Amino acid sequence: MRLKAYPAAWADDEATRAAADRWQRRGLLTPAQQVAIDAVHPISYYRPHNWIRLLLLVATLFGAASGLGFLLLITKADFNPGVYAALVALAAIALLEVLISRSQHYRSGVDNALLYVAVFAWGCLTYELTDNAFSLSFFSINWLLLMLAALLVALVRYADPLVAAVCFIVALWLAAIILMHSQLGRLMLPFGMMAIMGALLLALRQLPARADYYYYRSAGLVLRALGLAGLYLAGNYLVVREGHAALLGAGGPSEQVALAPLFYLFTAGTPVMYIGLGLRRHDRLLLTVGLLTLAFALFTLRYYRSLLPPEIAATLGGLVLLVGALAALRYLRTPRHGLTAEADKAIPPQFNLESLIIAETVHVPAAPEASYQFGGGQSGGGGADGSY
Amino acid sequence: MNYRPKLPSLAGAGEGPYVYTWFYLLFAMPPASPTTRLLAQLADEGLLPPAQAAAIADDERMRPFSLHYELRALLYLGITLLTGGVGVLVYQHIDSLGHGVIIGAITLAMAASFAYANRHRAAFTWGEAPRTSTAADYLLLLSCLLFLVLEGYVQVQYGIFGSRYGLVTVLPAALFFYLAYLFDHRGVLSMAITALAAWVGVSVAPLTLFTDGFPSEELSGPGLVLGLALLAAGLASEQLRRKPHFAYTYLLLGSNAALLAALVRLFDGDGSTEGPELLRALLVALLMLGICTVLVWYARRTQSYIFLLLAAGYGYVAFTVVLMVMVGFMNFSEAFIPLLVLYFPLSLAGLIALLINIKKILRIA
Repeated sequence: MRLKAYPAAWADDEATRAAADRWQRRGLLTPAQQVAIDAVHPISYYRPHNWIRLLLLVATLFGAASGLGFLLLITKADFNPGVYAALVALAAIALLEVLISRSQHYRSGVDNALLYVAVFAWGCLTYELTDNAFSLSFFSINWLLLMLAALLVALVRYADPLVAAVCFIVALWLAAIILMHSQLGRLMLPFGMMAIMGALLLALRQLPARADYYYYRSAGLVLRALGLAGLYLAGNYLVVREGHAALLGAGGPSEQVALAPLFYLFTAGTPVMYIGLGLRRHDRLLLTVGLLTLAFALFTLRYYRSLLPPEIAATLGGLVLLVGALAALRYLRTPRHGLTAEADKAIPPQFNLESLIIAETVHVPAAPEASYQFGGGQSGGGGADGSY
Repeated sequence: MNYRPKLPSLAGAGEGPYVYTWFYLLFAMPPASPTTRLLAQLADEGLLPPAQAAAIADDERMRPFSLHYELRALLYLGITLLTGGVGVLVYQHIDSLGHGVIIGAITLAMAASFAYANRHRAAFTWGEAPRTSTAADYLLLLSCLLFLVLEGYVQVQYGIFGSRYGLVTVLPAALFFYLAYLFDHRGVLSMAITALAAWVGVSVAPLTLFTDGFPSEELSGPGLVLGLALLAAGLASEQLRRKPHFAYTYLLLGSNAALLAALVRLFDGDGSTEGPELLRALLVALLMLGICTVLVWYARRTQSYIFLLLAAGYGYVAFTVVLMVMVGFMNFSEAFIPLLVLYFPLSLAGLIALLINIKKILRIA
């Protein structure tokens, strides 16, 4: 059996077509050249538009659940749950493989959903087999190991981004359990986590040099984003301090941790590092994660030191962001330092999506009730805030 | 710079910066480029002359990094934070001296940002106007949001609208509609529709089903009327070619509101299997299927697949509910329970097959 479920050519053709489209939009290829490239690298797989993929994913998940319901009904749920889980896992994998080889589904939503169903069923089956004493804090190491093995096989074979994310979480969970078995491990937990994230990021650096880069690109992106976020969170002061307090199990407010200045430095310095390197390396993922970690760093600061009342902080912060972004827009109107504010011609604009985001987030005050009276007594402090 | 890895010393906090040696190790090496391989392959296949491949490789390496969408996102975040903070500030210390300063500053900011937007406004057209300035687009949004803050404040402090509370939301809705068409701004159009919905008392936010749940039964009537009106506006802009690019916003917000409201009507009839109930359920379902047909038509026309998603999702639910109501009405539900259990796997498989062949069915290229 081949290692990869989908022919590697599908991923390569997809990447080639996308690149040709990009270059044509930028005026580097003639339309005739793009047509010629598309003819040599045709779409030989089935993948509908993203919204249809989403619908297919949901419909397949519901379909699998209702199919199981039907099976339970006609067998009157007489068998061990493990038997049903095994049946579902086998059926899902068989259907998935047939769908790929016969109907050329390549992340169409249906094949993704079948893979998730199979992994979930495997989780249920091994959960039955490993005799878990289920508690909220820990799964058994055996179960986690069995899950990790299946997830790694699924990741190598199907290269699915969500499977990659779950694989990351399970592996991390396992590492945390193993580290927390010893006193030293507990103390070193943040550094152990950082070392794991660093190793993951280092390993992912090898991916672009591999011949099957495009096959694993989306899974690699997800892992890299999680690795970058995890590297930051492992050394974030708030996570370290509250995590430490939670591990000790003591109620009440958390206490100062050892090596606090190191964590301060890491909390504040890493976002700056991410953003700076993202801008210098033209690395959008690094830049985006950097901006998000910067927001979390500010949240960490405000969590322990409330410098300003929230409304004043929001006003000032918004003003700084607005003026800063406007200044950057003006400064980068002509490209400087390899950066530009101009839209990339290769990316079509998303005005429709932006209007939906505005519709979702904008707050228009509703007409007050007829009985609404604004009393003079409500003018002080937060009262006015709540009543409007 | 020397990138030789140096293990971080964990002995003391003073040695913190050594941690960043790791960063250099992790990030500083220039990544190997798969694009180079892609270009080499295309050149090998005879699809690209080597000189052109070299030119593309140069462009990939030298072209500036676009921060366009990051800056837009930061602008919007800044505007949201600013107006949110100001919206609270305005009601604090309402009688103190600093208060007048705040009101004055807001008015000034609103006027200034509107003036900037107006200066960069493209000439009016019923088609899509060229985008002249990103800053102007967002400053127009800012001035609209500040207008809402000021209007609310003026009403609370001076009661200029008296007890005609409806005016408080109709006025911004009318103003925003006017500005949306004048400035050709889809964001302001969204705000206008949101304000109109607030006047009616419903929410048109796209994710309202997931954030607020179903609208209440009393509001389903107004919601249905508003949704149908927005649908009509969207169809009219598309058919009459009056800002046809506004149709997307109208149709998406309108159909979502109308279908949600209709769904509430469809569900609240359960339990009773009287004749009139059945008739009403059938009528509502028919209306929903009609709306879904319009959405499919628009999706086919503009290749906007999100409308197919809405149509298929709501259409399936409407179809299923009507089937349930009819089975309940015919009073042989006992015998039908196994069939019903079989209905879901079979109908979902049918839905999947339909979606997979949607291009053939709708003859979309």
